[in-house]
Amino acid sequence: MKIVVLVKEVPDMESKFKIIGDAKIDESQIAFKMNDFDEYAVEAALQLKEKLGGEVVILSSGPERVTKEVRQAFAMGADWGIHVCDPQIDEGDNFVVAGALVKAIESVGGVDLVLTGVQADDDQAALTGVFVADMMNFVHCTNVVKIEVGGDQKALTVNRELEGGLNEVLEMAMPAVLSIQSGINQPRYPTLPGIMKAKKKRLDLKKAADLGVSALGEAGSKTKFHKMYFPVSEHKAEIIQGDAKAAAKTLVDKLRNEAKVI
Amino acid sequence: MARILVIAEQRDGKLSEATLELCKAAKEIASGLGATPAAAVFFKDDSLAKEVATYIPEVFAVVDGKLGAYDADYYSQAVKAVVEAKDVKGVLIPHSYDGVDYAGKAALAIGAGIVSNCNKAVVEGGAVVFTRNTYNGKIQEQKSVKTDKFVATFEKGAYDKEAAGGAGSVTAVSVSLVDSRRKIKEIIATVAGSVDISQAKVIIAGGRGTKEKDKYNDVIVNLAKKLGGEFAASRPVVDAGWTDAARQVGQSGKTVAPVLYVAAGISGAIQHVAGMKGSQCIVAINKDPEAPIFNIATYGIVGDLFEVIPAMMEALG
Ligand SMILES: Cc1cc2nc3c(=O)[nH]c(=O)nc-3n(C[C@H](O)[C@H](O)[C@H](O)COP(=O)(O)OP(=O)(O)OC[C@H]3O[C@@H](n4cnc5c(N)ncnc54)[C@H](O)[C@@H]3O)c2cc1C
Repeated sequence: MKIVVLVKEVPDMESKFKIIGDAKIDESQIAFKMNDFDEYAVEAALQLKEKLGGEVVILSSGPERVTKEVRQAFAMGADWGIHVCDPQIDEGDNFVVAGALVKAIESVGGVDLVLTGVQADDDQAALTGVFVADMMNFVHCTNVVKIEVGGDQKALTVNRELEGGLNEVLEMAMPAVLSIQSGINQPRYPTLPGIMKAKKKRLDLKKAADLGVSALGEAGSKTKFHKMYFPVSEHKAEIIQGDAKAAAKTLVDKLRNEAKVI
Repeated sequence: MARILVIAEQRDGKLSEATLELCKAAKEIASGLGATPAAAVFFKDDSLAKEVATYIPEVFAVVDGKLGAYDADYYSQAVKAVVEAKDVKGVLIPHSYDGVDYAGKAALAIGAGIVSNCNKAVVEGGAVVFTRNTYNGKIQEQKSVKTDKFVATFEKGAYDKEAAGGAGSVTAVSVSLVDSRRKIKEIIATVAGSVDISQAKVIIAGGRGTKEKDKYNDVIVNLAKKLGGEFAASRPVVDAGWTDAARQVGQSGKTVAPVLYVAAGISGAIQHVAGMKGSQCIVAINKDPEAPIFNIATYGIVGDLFEVIPAMMEALG
């Protein structure tokens, strides 16, 4: 089994967000980490490898600091990786990034499975996995919460989560692209020996030109970004002031006498 | 005239509410663009198409035995067929489990740019500008497409539901569907458990901010007991095994509408809010003053839940 896992770096949502000129977040204030859903995808790939053999390749597109998340996946047990590092790709939309990832996956050759998280917490688009699948003409399934590989390692049975606690059980042939939903497993922590080994694992750096990507940046995108801003809600909660003790007291009083709900 | 097309969504022959919301959205966008609103219904017979025609003036029915249940390969082929046959400019799809599964594929099939997970669309100077959530709802962004046609997926609840009552036309569109590469074996229920939190009058819900199982029990379960209510959780708490799946509130969990819903250490991601926004009185306790949960709460306390909840217990006496 040759499995490629798409990993994205996203801001830690508990960071302090500032917007610069309606156009981007101030990255100097942000702590970055691996997208949560992608951690589940890495773990799912490692479990498949442990059962069936083969290799797990990490693929990430982003600026230089993304190496940190790729090495984290190495420390968990992935074998090697590709870092697509080109501002012309990062400046593009999901379509541009997916196109570049496809070229990188093709450069690996003989891939049986591509795994990714259901969505990235930063853009919340949930598009990359489906785009990659379609561009490669692979079958895909989103929101996967269980994977079983058939005995001949040519077919899959997966559970696709549906709304309200239902699962759809699907069969498909490989190669396939699966986007992994949280709860499928408990991602392992990198071990100390894992971290030591991770430093020495192979990480190929690729630019757009190395991959032969033609759709680049703004020009190659199918969408146009206008602006970003903090949400202005018509409704805002009545924020109860004071220290914890005082606020709790006021709240209980309001719940009893104003809202009359307790 | 060009068309703005809603792709209807159904499960077991029952239309989703999101479909009715998108009928409203299509009318609004179409009127801004000088286009006409329409819908496409993919099903094994034309019963659903007739039903959708009571919400929107024009319906295209793709009828095929293969379309009884949702399938990504079939849906993207069917979208392409209708778009090519019927002068469609925009395609609106629910940002639901099924919608997310095929919208990107349908967009590539028709060569359109896609803006996903939108909560609003306005027509400005002949172009549709979409608003969408990013960074877990902390930031909003506006985007449009550069292509002739567009595909957009919309969050549940972004628009009010259209009311039935019209009598639109139903036109058949024929498609020869290439066999899907996915085969549905079965649909199974995964959430077992005897508790039914959807009946509770008071719900105390804890999120990732409760940190660990013991602490979750300490604050959330105890406060729920004290108030004679049920305890509940956001998804990460269930994923981590701090409580069972039957207590998960949200898109993939339960929908609840108690008299009082306390959200402690929950950020207010749309998938969580989808399950509890109908609550009568919502209390949010969060140390981050910018957490989106404060945008839907009735009362908010900005602070550490491990200080606030014990203090509430004390104040309750
Ligand atoms: C298809 C899909 C379906 C999903 N279905 C669901 C669903 O059904 N239900 C659901 O809940 N989620 C669902 N999710 C996940 C959802 O997107 C969010 O990831 C999740 O709701 C976040 O949970 P949370 O608010 O507990 O955690 P976080 O977003 O991590 O928020 C934790 C919050 O706790 C606060 N906090 C931390 N420490 C403290 C403290 N000491 N005191 C006070 N506040 C503190 C932080 O400021 C933060 O706001 C789904 C996601 C997808 C993609």
